[in-house]
Amino acid sequence: MRGVVKRYDKVEALRGVEFTVNAGEKFALLGPNGAGKTTLFSILATLRAPTEGSARVLGLDVVEQRDAVRRAMGIVFQEPALELRLSGRENLVLMGLFYGLGSAAAKRRAAEIIAQVKLEDGADRPAQTLSGGQRRKLELGRALVTDPRILFLDEATLGLDVDARRGFWAQVTALAATGRTIFFTTHYMEEAEVADRIALIDRGRIVALDTPRALKARIGGGVVRLKTEDDAQARAWLAEQKFETNAGDGDIMLVHADPAAALPEILRHLPVKVRRAEVHEPSLEDVFLQLTGRGFGGDAPAVNGRPGRGPGGMP
Amino acid sequence: MMLKGIYAVVLIDLKRFWLDRARIAMGLLQPLLYLFVLGAGLGSSSRLGGGNYQQFIFPGVIGLSMLFTATFAAISIVFDRQIGFFKAVLVSPVPRPAIALGKIAAGSLQAAVQGAIVLPFAPFVGVPLTPLEVVFLLGAMLLSSTMFAAIGLAFAARFTSVTVFPVVSNAVLLPMFFLSGAMYPLALAPRWMQVAAHFDPVAYAVDLMRGALLGHFFFSPWLSIGALALVIAGLAWESVRVLNRGEDDSSLGANRVWGRR
Repeated sequence: MRGVVKRYDKVEALRGVEFTVNAGEKFALLGPNGAGKTTLFSILATLRAPTEGSARVLGLDVVEQRDAVRRAMGIVFQEPALELRLSGRENLVLMGLFYGLGSAAAKRRAAEIIAQVKLEDGADRPAQTLSGGQRRKLELGRALVTDPRILFLDEATLGLDVDARRGFWAQVTALAATGRTIFFTTHYMEEAEVADRIALIDRGRIVALDTPRALKARIGGGVVRLKTEDDAQARAWLAEQKFETNAGDGDIMLVHADPAAALPEILRHLPVKVRRAEVHEPSLEDVFLQLTGRGFGGDAPAVNGRPGRGPGGMP
Repeated sequence: MMLKGIYAVVLIDLKRFWLDRARIAMGLLQPLLYLFVLGAGLGSSSRLGGGNYQQFIFPGVIGLSMLFTATFAAISIVFDRQIGFFKAVLVSPVPRPAIALGKIAAGSLQAAVQGAIVLPFAPFVGVPLTPLEVVFLLGAMLLSSTMFAAIGLAFAARFTSVTVFPVVSNAVLLPMFFLSGAMYPLALAPRWMQVAAHFDPVAYAVDLMRGALLGHFFFSPWLSIGALALVIAGLAWESVRVLNRGEDDSSLGANRVWGRR
């Protein structure tokens, strides 16, 4: 993407977005609701045109060469894109027809995909009788009808249980291993961790783009979390001691260069009783919080110069 | 790609139609009520007489059934583009005009089938059905149902919510049906209604079907065929234009027209 701006009337959803995804890469786009993820995704998926700038997929312009892009990519949407009263096989055959395959070729391709996504058990049942995980497999299969070189996944595992999500990602990882590029958005941090690189987007701008490890290294230390009997008093004391803490929904979070060494000192001198204390590696949301002053869930205010943690933000 | 796209749209819509057999059966209820209840009641006080009146309104009742079936079929595009199979179709290389023309063709076939299942009741209201009349009638029905489907799509392409369907039904479809002469002879209607009927495409459809079945026309059959062809071409062109305009915002054009994002 080069200088992509997208305006809806007077609202700028994207403000000069620039990045490149390498061939064969697993690339994640993370950001809170309203950050511009959906708009950016829609532009790459050829469903919206940028107001300014240009976007190319596999070297093809998403506006000028729209049909070529559509033939080369597969998409799994957050919402179901199946005819639930038809069987999985019929859904795949129909999608084949929409991609220009003849009836016989569409049937052959459907059979190949059913085997590839391991959906033999449910392929001939109405899609509405399949489990959530099976339906997602079917959605993934639908996206594979064109044998795409790039797969777009938009919150593709939202609402699935842990096992189904794990199964889905195992298949995506297998597809990535065949050299396909995977571009995905997700709300689950552990899913984002599988990406080779992650772009963090906020208010229509990419605020950071790097490997998960490098992003977390930006925090410059580790995170200490505390739950005390009087968090307000604890925060006030920590501020006096020049520790920067977040505002939040209960837990006190502070970043320190050497949290394992700092924690015993804090516990020894903190004037309120500590119920729980933990030290952990910084999460991607901690990184986002530090960069933007916002959590993934909202606009919590900053305290003591540190950004706030939004309600519902993931630990 | 265009023909394959049209074929794929028609195929999925007809599969869905067939899966909804209960709706097809229920769709028979409305025309039978018009024919045997309203027809018998109004016919008893009509100058045409009971039996003759039911015979007279028979083509109009078929038209009514087809009009609402075709419009309902077109409305499916409203939620299809937001949730459902068509969301995936929008990112396939199928040209938008193929979606529009496929929707019209599928709606037309569905409406023709829904109209055709009323035909076996013709003998019960004294409508003679010779093979030649059936051929002419089916031709008129297919032309009419295509026009009804084009009307339905021309409206549906602009809407972002199916909740507007009752509004369209009451504000547009019913007035068109009432003005069409489906339930009364246009030749005996007040002058202003006769003039208005000239601007009502449903009137040409009903008159063509009535002429094919009963042999008497209000409009010249060639005028009706020409008018229906013209309306189909105009509305199909308009639908394609709207859908093409939505190429860049995944809406198939609806939200731009209605100012929604």
